[in-house]
Amino acid sequence: MKEESAMYFARCPWYVAGPLIGLIIVGLRLTLNRPFGAAGGLVELVERFGNRRALGAPAFIALGTVLGGALFAVLSGTFGFTWQYGAGAALLPASNVSQFAMLTLAGLVMGYGARMAGGCTSGHGLCGMSLGSRASVLATMTFFGTAVLLSSLFAFLAAQQQ
Amino acid sequence: MKTKFTALVFGTGFGFVIAWARITDPMVIRRMLRLQEADVFLLMGAAIVVAAIGVRLLRAFGARAVVTSDAIAWTTPAPARHHVIGSVIFGIGWSVAATCPGPMLAMIGQGRLAGLFVAAGVLAGLALQGAAARRRMPTALTADQASATCV
Repeated sequence: MKEESAMYFARCPWYVAGPLIGLIIVGLRLTLNRPFGAAGGLVELVERFGNRRALGAPAFIALGTVLGGALFAVLSGTFGFTWQYGAGAALLPASNVSQFAMLTLAGLVMGYGARMAGGCTSGHGLCGMSLGSRASVLATMTFFGTAVLLSSLFAFLAAQQQ
Repeated sequence: MKTKFTALVFGTGFGFVIAWARITDPMVIRRMLRLQEADVFLLMGAAIVVAAIGVRLLRAFGARAVVTSDAIAWTTPAPARHHVIGSVIFGIGWSVAATCPGPMLAMIGQGRLAGLFVAAGVLAGLALQGAAARRRMPTALTADQASATCV
């Protein structure tokens, strides 16, 4: 059963997943006339903490994203709690405590930057780009450029250490 | 209520699809950022093209939003310095965590609890930037404006 469901849920190819995400952006426009973005809901959370009734569409998009991940994991038979960050952690410190500290710090930097920039990979990179926003094009080029350069630098430094 | 439910449904769809496409796996993001695989770039490109066509069709037909009855329209901000500086900062964090706010949320749903540390950091960073912006310009950021910050 588990193997069978894992087979159905082999990695969804980009030419299916991409258009589906595009349709989600269109769907939000069609139903609510709202932009799509993950960070906006988290901004709502920190701004209106403790006042659940005031949470609006962005926060429910963010909540749904968590549920969607859970739904996929359950249906594909891959749900399970783990503290492991996987092979993606290769460049992070090996010990759990310093790895978690590093992830928290990286998150803090991301949150600060995303709010300053007015959006993240989904808000600017997907939604804003699709609307032809010049600010989003600028933001997306900037964060991709920065992250690609730094990722190569980290890999280079890691190779030097060995 | 209907608004929140609709948002929840689309959010769930998004979380499901990015988990299915393995975007919630930091290794996939790491490979993308090292330009070792094109899938995520292609995925984003395909999403942008479909969304760009779709939303323009809705606007061209003068459609009204099904739930809220708003006329379908949008405005975009003029590019400014904060878009660049904020995105450099965001890019630095992204390159270390190899995940960003959307995949981070779906990752937590999948049971990958290390994502909670990223999330704690992101929430703190969002709050910190809000506080810093308010201190610079005390009247600039009401709660409503703040929640509409993200494009």
